[in-house]
Amino acid sequence: MKTVGFLTAYVPEEIFHAAGLTPVFIFHTPEDEGRARAHLPGFTCWIAGSALDQALTGKLDGLVGMAMAQTCDTIQGLADIWRQNVAHIPLLHFGMPLRLDSPSTRQYLLAELRSLRGRIQALTGHPISDDALWQSIAVYNRTRALVRRLYARAPHLAPSDLYALVRAAFRTPKETYNEHMAQLLELPLVLPDLGSRRNPPRVLLAGCELADPVLLDAIAQAGGRVVGDILDLGERYFAIDAATGAQREPTAPDQNPLEALADRLLALTPTPTKYRPSSDRITQVMSLVQERNADGVIFARFKFCEPHGFDYARMAHALAQAGVPHLLVELEQASQAGQLRTRVEAFIEMLA
Amino acid sequence: MSEYPRLQSLRRINRVMARYYGQRQVLARLRPLAYVTSGAPVEILEALGILTLYPENYGALCGARKASVDLCRVTESAGYPADLCSYARSHIGAVMHPRDAPLRGMPRPDLLVCCNNICGTVLKWYQALASLYDVPLFVIDVPFQHTTPAEDHAVAYVADQLHEFAAWLETHTGRRIKPDKLDAVLARSREAVALWQEILAFGQHRPSPVNAPDLFVAMAPIVALRGTRRAVDCYRRLKAELEGRVARGIGAVPGERYRLLWDNIAIWYRLYRFFRPFMDDGACFVADTYTNAWTVELEPQRPFESMARTYSGVFINVDLPARTRIIAAMARRFEVDGMVMHVNRSCKPFSIAQCDVRDRLRDDLGIPILLLEADMCDERLYNEGAVRERVEAFLEML
Repeated sequence: MKTVGFLTAYVPEEIFHAAGLTPVFIFHTPEDEGRARAHLPGFTCWIAGSALDQALTGKLDGLVGMAMAQTCDTIQGLADIWRQNVAHIPLLHFGMPLRLDSPSTRQYLLAELRSLRGRIQALTGHPISDDALWQSIAVYNRTRALVRRLYARAPHLAPSDLYALVRAAFRTPKETYNEHMAQLLELPLVLPDLGSRRNPPRVLLAGCELADPVLLDAIAQAGGRVVGDILDLGERYFAIDAATGAQREPTAPDQNPLEALADRLLALTPTPTKYRPSSDRITQVMSLVQERNADGVIFARFKFCEPHGFDYARMAHALAQAGVPHLLVELEQASQAGQLRTRVEAFIEMLA
Repeated sequence: MSEYPRLQSLRRINRVMARYYGQRQVLARLRPLAYVTSGAPVEILEALGILTLYPENYGALCGARKASVDLCRVTESAGYPADLCSYARSHIGAVMHPRDAPLRGMPRPDLLVCCNNICGTVLKWYQALASLYDVPLFVIDVPFQHTTPAEDHAVAYVADQLHEFAAWLETHTGRRIKPDKLDAVLARSREAVALWQEILAFGQHRPSPVNAPDLFVAMAPIVALRGTRRAVDCYRRLKAELEGRVARGIGAVPGERYRLLWDNIAIWYRLYRFFRPFMDDGACFVADTYTNAWTVELEPQRPFESMARTYSGVFINVDLPARTRIIAAMARRFEVDGMVMHVNRSCKPFSIAQCDVRDRLRDDLGIPILLLEADMCDERLYNEGAVRERVEAFLEML
């Protein structure tokens, strides 16, 4: 099995899959040998620092490539640094547009997808057929449907279990994941022992990556449940399927699989680095609070993250006006687990 | 400590800029006013007679007047994290508390124009402004050039958006763009840019008649008045003054011993004070990467396509090897003996790969390079003692 690493919430995994590669997300880890510090300034987020440290210490040597989409200034800089210092893991950059609404966006995005397909073909030495792409889209749609079913059970799961299963979707070959997740979802619902509270406080998570284990654990310990999220790699990532080969035939016989992928990327709820005036993230959070009947919102922001930092201020303002309690926790490599735990537990207690 | 000769044209530029801000207060009642980012294709607005103001330039002004820290605190108390860009924090604070801000803030905009060829932060900043002012926002997406030159499909994407942008402006202002007016504006823009390039080239003289802090003051018109007669006028005078200095052998730093290159945005709250120990030691910053960012040229024949290409290829929108080549070429052309790189907490595109640039250039050029952590506006991030120590050690190395 050949594996390709990736970062950001906008990498079209299906193209890699169609080339016979297994895309795996490179999550940040607390283990760090400090090698990235020779390349990155102190005000770089944990995500970028950890990925580079893992690459420079040989932990990613099994990867045949590393994919990153255009998102924030930090990832843009990391791509530059990666090319110069991690030459043995070729970088595959994908120019995801910032504007999702311009009349030319789709055309630009399609050109970027074609270019990426060409570069993956050059990397593996094999052509990627349309049929293979349609098949990969079907496999990924299956994963997305399963994760949506998983999220539907979120209020009954321990938050750390929920996100362990979501994270696995980013790390496991999709065929294996689909098989196991389908079996798991057939099992009768067994409520974990989360304490004796009758109406556990219902929390929404906002931020970038799938929340911190300490954070999730603290929510559970205090008797809280996660009932949904607006995390870049959370619900929004799985919310929309790509059109399948079967769906295209009656209406758009000429549609090719790259168009199906482009349309999915454009339809997703934007992360804070993208712009579509008609779907404001602040409105999205407010309606999610209503829809899920949430008692409060926890923002898990990586220290030095500008896109989420600006959004936090606007969301916090809107939530405060609506009387919805919220808490900001900042994640960094040197975070104080004890302090984080105390603050989250106090917040959940307050909601109860 | 000796006194250093001051450039008279800088006073004039400061007066022109003060008048620019003053006039905007009055004119904004008569004509539409847009806030724009520093790398935006302002020529289109200028051709439509739309007034422009630059929140980034205003942020620099707050920094230079030492007003940033208080304004940043205002922004932070509204929930914005303290590690965000200090131009944005200074300006948002001024929008929230104009009474406590320099010039009592800027007049209210009718339109917002955000172009991401300088950073992704401006999107978030302008979204915040759009909700604070409740006015329309146009975003121009200029993809980062991971390979140089820009790919054709990326240039086409930008050119299409510029046409869309012109139509958007016409709809929102009821004004019509006239091709001959745009040509005239582009011609003036080109003239200002050409003069600016000549001014920057004066640093090649020995001694150099101009030092980087002078250029940080002198750059305001190329940012804010590009495409106007006033910019051309300011730079003709400055050029003449520099020619006079060269003819009389006057250097910006008398007894120039070392020639240095500055990388990144200025430290606005220490503009001259930071450079003083360098000057006292005979070191002149003959070139820099910040003021060099506006040395782009425009072709009048295909204005939108040429603007698209030009605005895609600005210094901080191109890949690391291209940026490194540009700095190395400057170092050679200006015959510098060393380099100071400001690791600017507020500017990730400028700062994030500086370690790699340093390593590469140190090997290629064999000159000492100092990396100095600070911030362009947020004085709380400036460690006076540490900076002094490191600067002294660097000057010893020269």
